[in-house]
Amino acid sequence: MSGWWFVGSLGEALFFAAFFMIGVVCFTTIVGWQFLSPTTQVVRIGYGFWLLTTVSAAFVVMGAVGFWYRVLKVATSDEHREVIAKRGLVPRPKTTLYRQLPPPMVPLLTPFTESPGAKLAFRLPGEWPGTGALISIGLFAMAWNAMIAVFAVFAVYGFWRGEIRLRLLILLVPGIYIGLKAAQIFFRTYVRAIGIGSTTVEIDDLPLIPGNTYKLLMVQYGRLVIKKLSIRLVCEEESTYHFGTDVRTEREVVRQQNILDQGRSRIDWGRPLELECQVSIPSDAMHSFQSLHNAVHWKIIVEGEANRWPSYSRSFPVVVYPRVHSKLTSQPS
Amino acid sequence: MIRLLGLQPTYMPHDQLDFEYRVSNVPQNAIAAVEVSVVWLTEGKGTEDLGVHFFQRLTGASLAATDWSVPQQVGVPLPDSPLSYEGRLLKISWCVRVRFYLNDGTELVAQQPFYLGTITREV
Repeated sequence: MSGWWFVGSLGEALFFAAFFMIGVVCFTTIVGWQFLSPTTQVVRIGYGFWLLTTVSAAFVVMGAVGFWYRVLKVATSDEHREVIAKRGLVPRPKTTLYRQLPPPMVPLLTPFTESPGAKLAFRLPGEWPGTGALISIGLFAMAWNAMIAVFAVFAVYGFWRGEIRLRLLILLVPGIYIGLKAAQIFFRTYVRAIGIGSTTVEIDDLPLIPGNTYKLLMVQYGRLVIKKLSIRLVCEEESTYHFGTDVRTEREVVRQQNILDQGRSRIDWGRPLELECQVSIPSDAMHSFQSLHNAVHWKIIVEGEANRWPSYSRSFPVVVYPRVHSKLTSQPS
Repeated sequence: MIRLLGLQPTYMPHDQLDFEYRVSNVPQNAIAAVEVSVVWLTEGKGTEDLGVHFFQRLTGASLAATDWSVPQQVGVPLPDSPLSYEGRLLKISWCVRVRFYLNDGTELVAQQPFYLGTITREV
């Protein structure tokens, strides 16, 4: 990939969004015209009609799929897909016996070990707090603008026949405004997401055992100047409780340690920032715990400040086993 | 009354938890059922959660065969987790709990806490 990938990525998303909108407008015009005014129709039902209908429906599908593929690709790098394809070549974890049997009330390890790393054994799954909002805004913008496009076709059709549907026009004005605003918010959020680039964290073994030290590899992709980047190990308690009719969840960081601090660095596309470090789990650390209303979570948090971008924080959960269980299950048979 | 037979009320995972329990001043024929359990429970800000590691219920013939003039001994191997923990929002504690259900509807409960693991008590 050459050139400024950021503009390319945004351009592709915009291209597919336009593709989708053109498809919706064409499909609505062709089908709507056919059913609303069969006498003035230009394309009669036949080969031409079905061809145009199919092509415009294909535009809608290709636009929607292409748009979301481009948007969701932000979270998965090409390298990662490549590594998964070569699963057999990645380093194997040090201990593999009985991993499927977690100790009681400790989260399952499987979701954390499903993804192999490029250099170390496991690539940790990331929690992206903004992804849900990005997808929600995108879906809303897409659905709303498709609806407005359909109404717009009806309005233009009426105008073409000499009928001015005032109520429809009055509805269209705020509708178009909301559609444009939703699209603007979506693309602004999207630009932020793709502008900073994805972050990956790999670790040489799982589960983590109190008292042990592990190798960690953090890779920051993108094209930007990082002013400051830090990696922390955090233990967080989580409690859910009822307050009146509400269900509330409270979280508190009870333990944290700095793993690495990195100063100013320049990242280019194709030359990501790779930082290797070691993380030690305190020997008196509480293991990961998950019950119905309470939990103890461990996570690796990457926080960065970049030029011209808002500061960001990305979280990578890990599982800490109690030391005794780890010792027993790690012994080779 | 419950009495832990270990020297310390702190146990490690996979240790054997030996304890004895007895009831006094209650006629044997007044007891309808007895439940013995080893449980962990959460306390703190969140809604309480409870996990049962060991449970035994004595009724009918097994209850009638029990001689309540001597303490009843029970041995339970302890699990890996959850370890006892005292955090800020959350506390995980372990205990042995015995419930006596009497024929007149009365319920007598006794519990004896113990500590599983050696995680620091204060975070």
